[in-house]
Amino acid sequence: MRRLALLFLLLPGAALAHASERMVILTLPTRGYVIGAALTVALTAVLGMIARRPPHFGARALFTRPALLPREVSSWVGAGLTILLVVVGLFGTHDPMENLLPLTLWTVIWVGLTLASVIFGNLWRDVAPWYGPVRTIRHLIGRTGSIGLARLGYLPAILGYLAFAWFEMISLSPADPEVLARAVALYAALILTLGVLEGEDWLDRGDFLSGYFAMVSRIAPFWAEYEGRRVTVMAGLPGAQVVQSAPLTPSAIAFVTLLLASVSFDGLHETFWWLARLGINPLDFPGRSAVVWQNTFGLLSFWAFSAALILGAIRFGLPKGTRFSDLAGPLMLSFLPIAAGYHVAHYFISLLTGGQYAIAALNDPFSTGLSLLGLPEHWVSFGFLSTHSGVRAVWSFQFAAILGAHVLAVLLSLRLTANIERAQTFRTHAPMTLLMIAYTVFGLWLLSTPTGA
Amino acid sequence: MSNKLITPNPSRRAVLGGIAAGGALLTTGLGARFAQAQSSAPIKLGFQLHRTGIGASYGRWYERTATAALKVLNDAGGINGRPVEILFEDDGTDPKRGAEVVEKFATQHKCDIGFGTLFSHVVMGSAPRAGELKLPYFVVSEGHHVASGALNRWTLQPGITDVKSQVLSMAPWVLQNLGKKVTMVFPDYAFGHDHRDYFTQAVQANGGEVIAQVAIPPTETTFTRYFPKIPRETEVLYHVMVGPAVLTFVKELGEFYGTGARPEIFGFIDSLEAVNIASPGLEFLEGTHFWEGHPRYLQEGASEAELAYRAAVGVDDTGASVSDPADVATYAHMFSVWETLFAVKAGMEAAGYQGPDDRQKFVEAMEAIAAFDEGAEHPQGPKVFNGKTHQAFGLQSISKVEGGKLKRVHQTTMEDGFYPDEVDYTTMSF
Repeated sequence: MRRLALLFLLLPGAALAHASERMVILTLPTRGYVIGAALTVALTAVLGMIARRPPHFGARALFTRPALLPREVSSWVGAGLTILLVVVGLFGTHDPMENLLPLTLWTVIWVGLTLASVIFGNLWRDVAPWYGPVRTIRHLIGRTGSIGLARLGYLPAILGYLAFAWFEMISLSPADPEVLARAVALYAALILTLGVLEGEDWLDRGDFLSGYFAMVSRIAPFWAEYEGRRVTVMAGLPGAQVVQSAPLTPSAIAFVTLLLASVSFDGLHETFWWLARLGINPLDFPGRSAVVWQNTFGLLSFWAFSAALILGAIRFGLPKGTRFSDLAGPLMLSFLPIAAGYHVAHYFISLLTGGQYAIAALNDPFSTGLSLLGLPEHWVSFGFLSTHSGVRAVWSFQFAAILGAHVLAVLLSLRLTANIERAQTFRTHAPMTLLMIAYTVFGLWLLSTPTGA
Repeated sequence: MSNKLITPNPSRRAVLGGIAAGGALLTTGLGARFAQAQSSAPIKLGFQLHRTGIGASYGRWYERTATAALKVLNDAGGINGRPVEILFEDDGTDPKRGAEVVEKFATQHKCDIGFGTLFSHVVMGSAPRAGELKLPYFVVSEGHHVASGALNRWTLQPGITDVKSQVLSMAPWVLQNLGKKVTMVFPDYAFGHDHRDYFTQAVQANGGEVIAQVAIPPTETTFTRYFPKIPRETEVLYHVMVGPAVLTFVKELGEFYGTGARPEIFGFIDSLEAVNIASPGLEFLEGTHFWEGHPRYLQEGASEAELAYRAAVGVDDTGASVSDPADVATYAHMFSVWETLFAVKAGMEAAGYQGPDDRQKFVEAMEAIAAFDEGAEHPQGPKVFNGKTHQAFGLQSISKVEGGKLKRVHQTTMEDGFYPDEVDYTTMSF
């Protein structure tokens, strides 16, 4: 009876499902797009190398204003919402397309907030639910010391991200509200404990989500800079923050390669090609439980493979007399647009489908038949995934995101090496350019090849 | 020992609870309320929903259908005068999770039954657990696995016919009206093999001939090189392609035949379930025929029950969602959810079902049901239910694409879909 007057919600798989639009896209001339994108990236690199004047990527301040809320307070709000969502996950509806916990994590934060952060800068920083509680607890217990976690660099975030990626694409029930609530509570408690032991400054690097958002938001054309209680809103070409960033440390490099590899593997593991490698009939996918070990192995190997490929390309182009880390540290930053761009393109359909469910869930948060937003019955709808115009529009957006990301990556790679001696040569850039062309083709192929899982 | 004290004898448990609460007066009060609550407490049905995973595009329509059917059921007084509740649990379209969901229904949520499973591999993974837990388990998978005897006494399929019956019942009309020399094109795995085997057998029994069987590897996404294998003398091309490359298949088949002569073409709507038949690229299907479990387009002279069902599930005359004409329903199959719910009602009422203790009685009552009449509870049409094989039989439709719409040109008889029993579940123990 509880569900009697519910909105009748629909969808192919929401955040985790990558919907059936592949039927239509297989009839579109995507090959031409892929070739065109590859040529564009190649041409950008060649022209950039010939011109030897990569864009300046300047930035300017738009305005300065007082912070609306101190970070401690906004973080406490985030903590309160986290607790509330865990309670909703544990005791709310079991339907992952109606329960606000899976919808918030998988659609609103993982997909929506990424897209917003790629445009407006790091929006996660202020609402991440640990900073405030960690400061408060440390203040209350009078703790000021640390336990040396900072020395580990991005290693804790790498482990956290790896666990998260495994949970999302390989574990059996990532959207099950109860399972997810337990996982979120466990992770939140772990980070809170470590944060209290180590100090709040560690959180930006220790929590994988904070590390992730800090990385992908660096390509945003708008961002905030903080000075005490004042915020300066900045604007510049996408990448302006990247060129101002310090070179990446080895653990940060590992973290970035993991971001790149995991989201690519999320696309790859559903393709006919991958399923065929596993000896699985792509028309008769036996379910996640049949591929847990294969995909665990696949994820780790794909990460190793991607990292080897990227670092190999950097090593291959290393100018004589330059240390590897001196080139890799700045150059790896140019992969941030690719990580962000592919993430946005890959999850775009999830945003359009899961996003509808999230809005519908807000319309009727307690599954009691409310219509707070005045949405009609059967409001959630996916017709756009089966029309040519809808699929073409989605593909155009994805194409623009992938192509834009790779062109930006090429330009950044030229800019970031501009001050490194003997690094402005064809020999240094050719391997990277080839790799970025390959990544462009691979990314677009992942979005247009048939999938079966 | 302590376990024995709280074994499920309601009156004893109530008494113990009362003693623990410390007063005879209180005991009486609680006991009375408990009895009252039991008789009017909702009947709880667990719906095993393909909410995520590969079945999700079906799952969303099945949820919609179940919710609509539940409203009609409760508005009409529920089951045995009690309200009915559906608890949806996502199984991720995964057999292992499916078994876990069945277990949750039985042990955690104390559901009276589990139902709604579509994908065969999930049915095969879940049904054994339902059998162990003695939970009546109603599937809507079309699979022949129920009637073949592969499952157990607790698993039934009263809401939809199985694929064997569907395929067999197509043959007489196809051979009489479209041609006797048949070439079959099918994906080269179990689903395609079932079609190949059942239809070849039916063609032979009806005086026709399958002159070629073109098996297409499931990984194939372009089909041009297979079409020359279709013999020129083919009179009927039977196709059951599925998967993301279906539109490509139709498009390339159209290019292969061009505007010249082509054989008659007969397919299963499974290929294009939830796909607008008037999509660009599907023009070639004009004039071809399809099996439909339930006609997607509203047919002339449709029954009141059909109209009411369409309105309840929010589907317009073209088979699309009333809120989005591009969002085509899984119309040929989703009636099974509706009809299963009302089959459960019929069985529970016949058994005088009161609660989980009556589960066996309920299955026996289901097995004793011989038929369901066409009407509001069975809008797709009448069903014959075979209690021995736990399988429903019904009427199938053959529709022709005319002006970009599917128009029914033939409805099979009940007998067209019959085949000899392959199992008698009633002889098996519970």
